[in-house]
Amino acid sequence: MKLPAFLGGIRGKLIAIFVLIKVVPLVLLAWYAWHATSQLGEEVSVKAGSMADSMLSTIKSVGKTVTDDSIRALDLRSREAIEAMTTDTAKEIANFLYDRDNDIRQASDLEPSEAAFRLFMNERRRTIYRHATWKLAEDGKSWVPEKELAREAKVTRPVLPDNAKDFHARPPEYLGEAEQRPLFVEMTYLDLNGNEKIKVTSGGLTDKGLKNISDRNNTFTRAESYFADLKKLKPGQIYVSDVIGAYVPTQAIGPYLPATLEKAGKPFKPEESAYAGTENPVGKRFRGIVRWAMPVLKGGQTVGYVTLALDHDHIRQFSDRLMPTEERYTPIADAIKGNYAFIWDYKSRSISHPRDYMIVGYDPQTGRPATPWMDEDLYAEWQASGKPSDEFLAGIPPFRDQNLKRKPAKALVKAGTIGLDCRYLNFSPQCDGWNAVTEHGGSGSFVIFFSGLWKLTTAAAIPYHTGQYGNTPQGFGFVTIGANVDEFHKAATATAAQINTLLEEKDASFKNQRSELLDQVAQSLTSTALGLWGSTILMVVIVIAIAVWMAGLLTRRITGMISGIHAFQEGDLKRRLDAHSSDEMGELACSFNRMADSVEESFKRLEEAREKAEEASRQKSAFLATMSHELRTPLNGILGFAELLKYELDNPAQQEYAAVIQQSGEHLLNLVNEILDLAKIEAGEMPFKRVPTPLASLVAETAAGYQVTATAKGLGFELIMADGLPANLVTDPVRLRQILSNLLSNAVKFTEHGKIKLAVSPVGEEIAFAVTDTGAGIPPESREMVFEKFKQLENFLTREHGGTGLGLSLVKQLAEHMGGRITLDSEVGVGSTFTVYLPLDTTDE
Amino acid sequence: MNEERHALVVDDHPTNRLLASALLKRMGWIVSDAENGNLALEQAGQKTFRLILLDISMPGLSGEETCAKLRATPSGGALKIIAYTAHAFQEDRDRLLAAGFDDILVKPISVQALEALTKDL
Repeated sequence: MKLPAFLGGIRGKLIAIFVLIKVVPLVLLAWYAWHATSQLGEEVSVKAGSMADSMLSTIKSVGKTVTDDSIRALDLRSREAIEAMTTDTAKEIANFLYDRDNDIRQASDLEPSEAAFRLFMNERRRTIYRHATWKLAEDGKSWVPEKELAREAKVTRPVLPDNAKDFHARPPEYLGEAEQRPLFVEMTYLDLNGNEKIKVTSGGLTDKGLKNISDRNNTFTRAESYFADLKKLKPGQIYVSDVIGAYVPTQAIGPYLPATLEKAGKPFKPEESAYAGTENPVGKRFRGIVRWAMPVLKGGQTVGYVTLALDHDHIRQFSDRLMPTEERYTPIADAIKGNYAFIWDYKSRSISHPRDYMIVGYDPQTGRPATPWMDEDLYAEWQASGKPSDEFLAGIPPFRDQNLKRKPAKALVKAGTIGLDCRYLNFSPQCDGWNAVTEHGGSGSFVIFFSGLWKLTTAAAIPYHTGQYGNTPQGFGFVTIGANVDEFHKAATATAAQINTLLEEKDASFKNQRSELLDQVAQSLTSTALGLWGSTILMVVIVIAIAVWMAGLLTRRITGMISGIHAFQEGDLKRRLDAHSSDEMGELACSFNRMADSVEESFKRLEEAREKAEEASRQKSAFLATMSHELRTPLNGILGFAELLKYELDNPAQQEYAAVIQQSGEHLLNLVNEILDLAKIEAGEMPFKRVPTPLASLVAETAAGYQVTATAKGLGFELIMADGLPANLVTDPVRLRQILSNLLSNAVKFTEHGKIKLAVSPVGEEIAFAVTDTGAGIPPESREMVFEKFKQLENFLTREHGGTGLGLSLVKQLAEHMGGRITLDSEVGVGSTFTVYLPLDTTDE
Repeated sequence: MNEERHALVVDDHPTNRLLASALLKRMGWIVSDAENGNLALEQAGQKTFRLILLDISMPGLSGEETCAKLRATPSGGALKIIAYTAHAFQEDRDRLLAAGFDDILVKPISVQALEALTKDL
């Protein structure tokens, strides 16, 4: 792996190491701290959230429990209150009816006369409350009272502080407009044949004429058949009839309003339809009677019967004004609200209802019971039977399979006959329920979902057991009160609503607080993270800055050292490193400086030595040159004049002397030349040239001189130039000539017979110049010696042969300095071959 | 060669002057001599020489300097100036030829060598 370029240097590495050992743990630490903090924050958030949630749910459940308990408690309390109201009402009704028993007893004691009867009736009056006039609202969508009644509790004295808590005052209860109404609409005296002998009426409800009531057609709504019962009465016994009245049909169920009637395709005639409280306050009222009768005795014998027809309105009063709500009493019933009281007779037929069309009655034309409301199934059965409804129903078991799933017969609604005979009202299972709690004379309640409302419905038997009403424990019948359950626990539901509102508020505020808390946590986390990372980054920056600075500091010294060393290396020997510091770097610098000192010293000495050597060389050169010059100058005179003498002298002996002088001078000159050449070579002052030299002509020219000498001496001379020799040889021509001259000169000099041969040939990368003679030869033990200075073989005298003893030595030196060598091949008595090998250079550098 | 052949031998050493003069005279030259460069220049100004043998190591003007001055004279170009010297090394030869000498006659001289150098003149 290749490191990035910036890590290549010590500086980069140092920085990287710093960063690694400082920054990485720092970042890790910061990360860990941040991680822990954020985890804590998260935990706090989650726990706070779940705490708030659980708190809220606890409050909710507590609220719900409290509300439920309150509702339950209120329901129970309401039930209790309404049940009590029901039994009280039933008892009041019974008491009222028992009072009528007293009336009939008193009436039976009266001397039958119209005056007495009238007086009797006038004395018996009771307050009945009726609501004031109502009218259709202007928009035709409801019925409204003509005059809105403002009821206000009046408190004129200051409420004492002691009484201020829950101080509650109600206005006087308003039951309606009071009317003093005679209890009885009719009082008659009958003879034993059923003829009405005396008849006093009031109110015009009944026929005023005297008739025989044994004929039903002569009775009220042709529905009374009491004479048969009267005849069975023993003295002191009381007869009490059913509630008898003409059935009042309706053209609409519910609010009787123009729109409803229009929808049903019927004319809007509220006065002709049945009265129904707020739903039709101007309707036709159900008018009925309950007839009491008792034998009139004379001397212990029944001589006739007295009857009293109780105005049914007095019984209705017990239920009509009753409200099972905090309203307590109402001048007008509001059936649609579901809060109202009913009265049912001993046959479970409706005898008091806010809707008059629901009170069971008779057809005044036939005297037969009006067809009651049935469910679809029963209605279909009846239709199939082809019988009058009363006859058909007589064969049907009462309370047959009553349940809420049954549908009311629409045809009867259309016909407008919907009197409630609980025995056949099979889509109203509460009928069965009422009977269940009252048929043994008791009371009770249950809750039923009916007509879209949860209703508490109570029932209490009316403990009136006179006459036929004594046949069952149920007595006269039973009172039921229906109440909208929601009304009971209004307070609780209000509280619940309040609690819910409170809870919602709390929930919202909790959520707010929670989100605030979360925000705070998040904020604190953010600020922590900012602080943490900020300080980390700051520290990282500082660390990096320090790392860069320190690396710079360290490497500056190192690079300073490096540049110092480079400068030293490149020749600035005076250069020294800054060695002020006492650390390792300082020591290193010191060491270097010491080394530099010694190197410089060495260089100085070397330089001095070189200069000395050069000086010596110069001096040697100068010496050699001077020597040469100074030796040649006298030789010039000697040789020159000796030669001149040779020509000038006539005496042969003198000529010979002159020749000797010349020969000696020449010998001396040779000696001088060769000594100087050797000296020059040894002094390194001999320059060797390298120039392209025409080989053939050089060899030929050099050989020519010696060929002449050889021939003169009687020797043969042979020059052999081998094939493949270069035209030009790169060498020093002067020195090559000197070599060849020396060798040839020696060959001629030391050979007495035979011939001299010079052979030039290429040998590998060398060129060989072989000079062969037929001289005495050189013994093997002497072969090395011949190349030494001033060494000649003993049998050859230098003087004799004119040799200097330096020639071969010089040739060897020259050949070697020209990159070559010399070999000797000799056989004593046969001759010698000296071969000089020189590099076969053909290219000029 | 109907002309008179005048040669000048310049050398501070009397023996050398004498030898060279003797040899040249023997070869038919009319020889003058001078013992230093200045005298040589003086003579060369008065007489036209065909050949000058000029020593190198002389007191006063050296051989090279004298050669350069001789070459600078009107007839200096045609003049054959031969270095007459005991400086026998190769490098000396090279130096002198470069300094304007036509040839070099190395001491000790021989008749043969002198003849070889002067045979064309």
